[in-house]
Amino acid sequence: MIGHVAPHRWADLWAGRVGHPERTVMEGHAERCRACARQRQRVTRASDSFATIRTQSSPEVSWDAVRARVHWSVSTQRRAVRRQPRPAYGWLAGALAAGVAVAVISGPASLPGPATEPIARHAVTAPLPAPPPPPALVGLVSRASGDVMVDGVRPADLFARPLTAGSRIATADGRVDIQFGDHSAFALGPRSTIELRRFDARTIELVVDGTLDVTVAPRAEGQRFLVDAGDRVVEVRGTQFRVSHDGSATSVACRHGLVDVSDARGKIQVGAARRVHVANGSPVASEPVVALSSDELTTLVEATPLALPLWDPAALAQSSAPLEIATSGRRDVRVDGVELGLAPLRVRVMPGRHTVEAADSAGRFRRAGWVDVAAEPRGVRLDIPAEPPATGGITERRRQLRAGIDQPRLRRCMRSIAKAGLTGTYVQVELAVDAQGAVGFLNVIDSDLPSATASCVREVLADVRFGRGMAATWRERLDL
Amino acid sequence: MVAHVMLGRVKRDTTGSLASLGPADEADLIARCKADDRSSHDELYHRFRRQVAGNLYRVLGDRTDLDDLVQEVFVIAFRGLERFRGDARLSTWLYRICVNVALGKIRTRKRRPAAIGVADLDATSADPSLTERPETPDRALERRQEQDRVYKALELLAPKKRIVLYLHEIEGLDLKEIAYLVDSNPVTVRTRLFYARREFYRIIAGEDPPDKLSTEGGEAGDGGEPVRGDDP
Repeated sequence: MIGHVAPHRWADLWAGRVGHPERTVMEGHAERCRACARQRQRVTRASDSFATIRTQSSPEVSWDAVRARVHWSVSTQRRAVRRQPRPAYGWLAGALAAGVAVAVISGPASLPGPATEPIARHAVTAPLPAPPPPPALVGLVSRASGDVMVDGVRPADLFARPLTAGSRIATADGRVDIQFGDHSAFALGPRSTIELRRFDARTIELVVDGTLDVTVAPRAEGQRFLVDAGDRVVEVRGTQFRVSHDGSATSVACRHGLVDVSDARGKIQVGAARRVHVANGSPVASEPVVALSSDELTTLVEATPLALPLWDPAALAQSSAPLEIATSGRRDVRVDGVELGLAPLRVRVMPGRHTVEAADSAGRFRRAGWVDVAAEPRGVRLDIPAEPPATGGITERRRQLRAGIDQPRLRRCMRSIAKAGLTGTYVQVELAVDAQGAVGFLNVIDSDLPSATASCVREVLADVRFGRGMAATWRERLDL
Repeated sequence: MVAHVMLGRVKRDTTGSLASLGPADEADLIARCKADDRSSHDELYHRFRRQVAGNLYRVLGDRTDLDDLVQEVFVIAFRGLERFRGDARLSTWLYRICVNVALGKIRTRKRRPAAIGVADLDATSADPSLTERPETPDRALERRQEQDRVYKALELLAPKKRIVLYLHEIEGLDLKEIAYLVDSNPVTVRTRLFYARREFYRIIAGEDPPDKLSTEGGEAGDGGEPVRGDDP
């Protein structure tokens, strides 16, 4: 007689790791104990699924994009290693050579006599060499929309112009994204100005008036990243945050990481998904730090500055080019699947073929075309035609769809589901039909059916024939 | 000392191009990669990319950030190739990197539980050789739900326990192989596996929530003995 069986022993039993006598006892117990029988069943089902998991094949990945990123990452590191300055042994060799020369010229008379102990030693301390200035940083524009002024002019070569300490950037209605390191970039919002007061490997200090979104990789020890907003200073290590400053107040919102906000009278910390709003004249330390709402957080996510995956300013300036996407109205666009926000805009891309998609009035991205970009400073422009007017005739096309469905075939698709007692299922599809009645596309966009059944239903719908009529694109939900 | 580790999983793998890469070819490929030959990097990437993606996918149970993780594995591999001594097969060494990258991902998820996407394994991507005839939709649904349950239970384990349990129970590796992959010793792995199995199967069986598990005594029939038949 034994007590209950531990669940993992049922797994051992399933795997054949239990000897015959114990197996008999366990199985006998399961026959008497309903709880253990139920546990055994659950464990066995889970163990059965291991084989399926083990043989899952690899899903498709953007192999070429991943390969390109790996190559860039590895080669950038190699170049950086090669560029590292060698230790300056030259001065040592020079000093030795000079010493030998002096000794030879002055001859034996000048050679020191027998060593005698001096009466007193004079403490001679060589002056310490001044620390070398930190390497200057360079920023490059990675995305721009609307008017952007650099040092008071609208440069034609905005994407080729390196931004260094002392540069002043101003925006009109658009925004500009500037990358200055691996995973480090800032984006200046509409009607804002920024000055790169200090911009080197030791300290980055930005003076902002307006809205600034920053994403920075964790700083090395001793590096500082400061944003001056009026009489407040925001300091970070590795984080993403937004600073908004105008004549009346300063607000700092942090998406992740940790931000110090300080003024002359104190300091507070703003953590992930939190914000602080400080009115002019109020001490920072007296203001409460509150949680960001989901909308605010979404806004922060959408405003993430664009940073290319690998950072090598010299290589990028040589081998990338701006792609200008022109639209008749304001439309969201994607390049190679990456959402870039509202066009018209310009974005830095690597040479090669790029796919551009634009959102329609319903918010769905549709392919606008592809463009070949060569590595040249003036880049390429792609004009996206205006969205065609909304099609009519949806009601008629919907009726044709409903009437054309092969119901017996649809029931055959649903038979196994119905037998399993599952009811109230649905499939939502999106389809486009042109004026000739040809189906442009038919996609299952949502369903609570197993994928095989949903595919079967889709095939039934794909065989529906439409007549001539108005072109239409619509979504249809079929309750099955 | 592991003279030449070769995992059971890789031994089994006859679908990819791994089987065609003999030790001599592999050594040649590694030598060319170390010489910074870009075409060799491409060759290595093309040979192992599906294996790497598959490993990460199966360990994590969903495809979120899979591109980034595959990238991370290959970046680590190319950067660390200089230090690769050839103690193990290249595929095994890559598997080890996959395990470490996956472990990092699991830890990140634990810190940000809202971002967890459990069990996204696509029911349609099972190896077709396993099923001689197409399975019925309800069977597919059931199978998918079962996989969901397994991955949800795995999510509740501590990352180290999860990895060890996954490698033993699902991948079927022995303690020595697991110890190599997680850079530990077999005795530690055995202990970790024992507790991981106990927790995991209790969750699967619908027993107490995991926070109570560590304080309880074992039941009759528990045995208290680490996994049998796997001693190194």
